[in-house]
Amino acid sequence: MSEQIREQVSAFLDGELPDTETELLLKRLTRDGELRESFGRYALIGEALRGSGSQILTRGFASRVNLAIDGEPAQAPAHAQPAHVSRWWRPLAGVTVAAGVAAVAIVALQQRAISPRLNGAAPITAQNVTAPLKAAAGGQMPVQDGAGPREALSYTVPAASTDAPSALVPTRLTNYVFAHSKYSSGLGQRGVLADLLIEDDDPQLIPVQRAPQPQTPDTRVAP
Amino acid sequence: MTQLLPSRAHWLVPCALVGALVSAVPQRASGADDPREWLQRMNKALATRNYDGTFFHISGGRVETMRIIHRVRSGRVTERLQSLDGSGREFVRANDELTCYLPDQHTVLVEPRQDRGPFLGSLPQFDATVSDFYRIEALPATHTMGRPVRVIAVNPKDQFRFGYRLWLDEKTAMPLKTQLCDSRGQVIEQIFFARLDMPESIPDSDLAPTVHTDGMRWVRQGPSVDNASAALAAYRASQLPPGFRLTVQGAQTLGGASAPASHLVYSDGLATVSVFVEQSSSDSGVAAAPDSQVQPPMQGLTRVGSGYAFSTVVQGHQVTAVGEVPAQTVEFIAHSVKIYSGGGEIPHH
Repeated sequence: MSEQIREQVSAFLDGELPDTETELLLKRLTRDGELRESFGRYALIGEALRGSGSQILTRGFASRVNLAIDGEPAQAPAHAQPAHVSRWWRPLAGVTVAAGVAAVAIVALQQRAISPRLNGAAPITAQNVTAPLKAAAGGQMPVQDGAGPREALSYTVPAASTDAPSALVPTRLTNYVFAHSKYSSGLGQRGVLADLLIEDDDPQLIPVQRAPQPQTPDTRVAP
Repeated sequence: MTQLLPSRAHWLVPCALVGALVSAVPQRASGADDPREWLQRMNKALATRNYDGTFFHISGGRVETMRIIHRVRSGRVTERLQSLDGSGREFVRANDELTCYLPDQHTVLVEPRQDRGPFLGSLPQFDATVSDFYRIEALPATHTMGRPVRVIAVNPKDQFRFGYRLWLDEKTAMPLKTQLCDSRGQVIEQIFFARLDMPESIPDSDLAPTVHTDGMRWVRQGPSVDNASAALAAYRASQLPPGFRLTVQGAQTLGGASAPASHLVYSDGLATVSVFVEQSSSDSGVAAAPDSQVQPPMQGLTRVGSGYAFSTVVQGHQVTAVGEVPAQTVEFIAHSVKIYSGGGEIPHH
């Protein structure tokens, strides 16, 4: 990420980027996946720096942050105020910064380890499709306010559904999440749906954080 | 058209809709600073206004750019949520149906949706029960994206649920920025708008999906039944984290399944956990489709967006708890599920 872009992202997240530049940054973020990654790390770290946490700040954080953002170590000591140091870091020179924050960013990026056990895709076949099936050309579904799309709907199922690799159909967990979103109250629904919009949606196992178990050991045994 | 972001010139010329909303809410009346009232204003704005915005969804260091279009016309709500980068996925909710276009999976999921809640979600009213487990407070007002905002925090009182921080536009009560936080205040998920327009009208063309569905398979989720048969209802969590109670029990045939899954919904009034129980394929007695595969059981903890899912197997039944709650909550609930198949008394919670 160039210094200019970094400054723009930082200013944007601070709400201080001029409107015209915001539009340009938005377009660029939409096109540039690498920039989005950096942007995400920036936002995460910036939020932590703004004081959502109560961590004690320690020296050495800036270099770890730069590592998190650029994937490479910081190239100048904090006291030198180098030109490439983001405006977020500048106020931090000489002060203590959060030790845990960089770890948060990095751990968050490492949370997606693939578990083959959870990739048991639920094959969706013609037999499973309960919608009316027609071999008509499946055009786009027009959205209408009144009459509704039902008349226009035609459900197209490939003649040989087994041609599609199972990885290309929603997994069982995706179906669960989809069904859950109907009942998820509050702003949680937004997160559930947003997650379903994200490309890399295969459910993935993360290291199990041991949680307190139910006190009675017989809870997994039927009466 | 009222454009909230980023063209600030428009803020000086609020349209009739904004004016109507603002005038409808007593600006300086007693309670105007009550955070609960601000949340109600937000709910109303999200549900009743027209808006078209681009926002960033940041979770786990990943950023997705999304566009939300929400139209209310003659009492009918049509919504479209679109991923602007990567997957090209879109959701369209219209006419009591939610259609999920998954071009990367060559699939379109359709599900009946009678609920009226907006895609962007809303928060329920804070009654005494919710107040037992969450503390709501107004934080100092500030500016976000150059606009004055009210900041409302909904803090969980224990580690079994997440909280929210909301930056609500002073004029429209729209949430310009929201954060999902854990009990220690760590941000788990963040959404903020880069652009937000509140037009007087939105054309049909803006609500039509851009996905080409030629050759895609359409999968219709079976209708959910809120009063499931006794057999399907014979599952319960025998223990629950504080404040959670059973709010819905039902069954639904999910895409790809040959038999309905039992679906239990537990809520503390704000957070919601769904529990799905399915008989394992080999035990279901239903002949598998010739070209289908036997599904391996799922076990373990999975990150699902801003929440978690935990799967386990109980007496040949696949049990999965999923929700926007901490990992320990879904694990706790999934582990406590009992199968009441012997005619024993089923607990009501």
